[in-house]
Amino acid sequence: MGERRVDIAIVGSGAGGGAVAKELAPLCGQGVRIAVLEWGARLEEHEYTGRELEMARKLYFDSGGVLTKDRTMTLAFGRAYGGSTVVYTGTSLAMPPEVVERWAVPGLEWQDLHQRSLKYLAENSVHLQEEGLLNDNNRLFRLGCERLGYRVEQFPVNVKGCRGSSLCNLGCPNAAKQGTHRVQLPAAEARGVEVISNCKVERISRGECQVTVSNPPYGRPSAWEPGRHTVKAKVVVVCGGAVNSPALLLRSGFGQDLPALGRYLTLHPALILVGEHARPISNFHGHPKSFYCDQFAASHGFLLETCMYFPFTTSKNLIGFGPEHSELMRAFDHLQMILVLALDPALPGNRVRVDRGGEPVVDYTLTDTVLDSLHASMKASARIFFAAGARRVHAPAGRSFSIAAGDADRIDQLIPRSNVVPGRISVNSAHLMGGCRMGADRATSVTDECGQVHGQPWLYVADSSLFPRCSEINPYVTVMALADRVAERITSRAGELLTR
Amino acid sequence: MDSLPADKVATLEAVARRIVPEVAGLDAGGRERFLEIIDQALRERPPAIRRQIAVFLGVIRQAPRLRFGHSFERLGAGRQERVLRWLQDCPVSLLRKGFWGLKALVFMGYYGQPEVWPEIGYAPVFDARDKLHG
Repeated sequence: MGERRVDIAIVGSGAGGGAVAKELAPLCGQGVRIAVLEWGARLEEHEYTGRELEMARKLYFDSGGVLTKDRTMTLAFGRAYGGSTVVYTGTSLAMPPEVVERWAVPGLEWQDLHQRSLKYLAENSVHLQEEGLLNDNNRLFRLGCERLGYRVEQFPVNVKGCRGSSLCNLGCPNAAKQGTHRVQLPAAEARGVEVISNCKVERISRGECQVTVSNPPYGRPSAWEPGRHTVKAKVVVVCGGAVNSPALLLRSGFGQDLPALGRYLTLHPALILVGEHARPISNFHGHPKSFYCDQFAASHGFLLETCMYFPFTTSKNLIGFGPEHSELMRAFDHLQMILVLALDPALPGNRVRVDRGGEPVVDYTLTDTVLDSLHASMKASARIFFAAGARRVHAPAGRSFSIAAGDADRIDQLIPRSNVVPGRISVNSAHLMGGCRMGADRATSVTDECGQVHGQPWLYVADSSLFPRCSEINPYVTVMALADRVAERITSRAGELLTR
Repeated sequence: MDSLPADKVATLEAVARRIVPEVAGLDAGGRERFLEIIDQALRERPPAIRRQIAVFLGVIRQAPRLRFGHSFERLGAGRQERVLRWLQDCPVSLLRKGFWGLKALVFMGYYGQPEVWPEIGYAPVFDARDKLHG
């Protein structure tokens, strides 16, 4: 077992860990030693092949198919140098003021969060893609929404030199997406921060982290030799995401004093919906996510976004099997896709816990209200598909495998609420939030408004687990803005924290 | 295939032919890839998941004896499909979720093969800028 000494250990290198590392990096010039401990691998450029199963295995926990305890949902979150920023689509939205109001975290003001968000939008080269780069899949969504009078907006994205591979969720093979692996981590390393890949943090306690280094058969070997290490650290910043951050704190024993630890998990439960056009459309060429519709956010609790997934992911999200399923899959280049995100409530019973072996277990129940939202979203999406000219629509809760355009005026009858049954339809999540929520009350929160764990001045959290409720938008910019606050707090207290 | 016993593999393949009919037409290489993908996926999952899948395949194999007097593999295509549709819509959530998981494995084994992508019209390229419009 080796021993390593640093001043600040950052656990995880995604949107939160990457931002914290870059913001704290100037301290290295004063002799402060900072290490980012990343569970995942650091891939070489040639290893971004775009092949679905291969990349899912390399870049996601459980290949993107982590199951909730009751097996009704699969969760996708990244494990790599860059965390989930390697596998998101780069859609970059700053949080609107009304959501920060709903969060109601004492000391967290929208104006402060917004200014920090703007910094990261600039740093990550966020912009609207020009019209000529938008593919048919995206344009048809906009057309359908416009014909129905639904509000539709274009997503700003953080790409530089996008070539339209559409492989964002498998790691951009063109190095175009500006995740932390392209922006914040290299900047931090240039100033002296050490990033240790293939390094799983097993437990933390005041003054040290127990870690295991294990090199998979891909990516660069870790900078540390394989095996167990004790990392002495004066400050620990946990940025492992909404499953792994609470799980790490729970198996390290912090749950006894923090009853909210792991609780109030929200997931933006998601559906992938499909409409088929009579002709081939450009769908798997071009950026996959250019537009969103928030027409129903306030009234029915869901957002709609464009999306384009890969053959296996698409196939498992269609209800049914056999010849009708195969026939739709064989029309892959005719398919228009919509992603639904339900805006789920933060409930104490929806939570991360750990089993006897310390492994995370996700308890999550889809409430009737969320199922109502998913039902309404299927009907709204079907209308958008038909308004865009689709010849038929596959609705997972439909009375039949598909609804023909001629039946478009009978959508309400053909997609009954009674068919929205957990375990029958595929529900996913890639927006995992909460579990170490911010707040002032130790009974209902885990950290203060700057990510410091209650009662532990050396321990911080800086990732989406801080969210007290769901973000109601794609969350990564907000994660970076919150991480910026955490880094600022640590910097402001560096004299006290680092001289112990 | 190391993660499932041989009798369970036979049931898996029979189920797969109903879920993705094209599985029946795979050549030796395609069948090998199909089983290898599923095997690798199961090996990477916790042992409890492997056991549950094996048990569930056993249920699919034996349960039709009560209704039809034969194991799943010995049923005709129509009856096999009826069994699977009953599982898909089953009021018992454990069976419904088990079928969903098994179906996902079969889809992974087939649609996870890059060799079948041309058949469904999926042809990703790294530089697609000249393929966006017409």
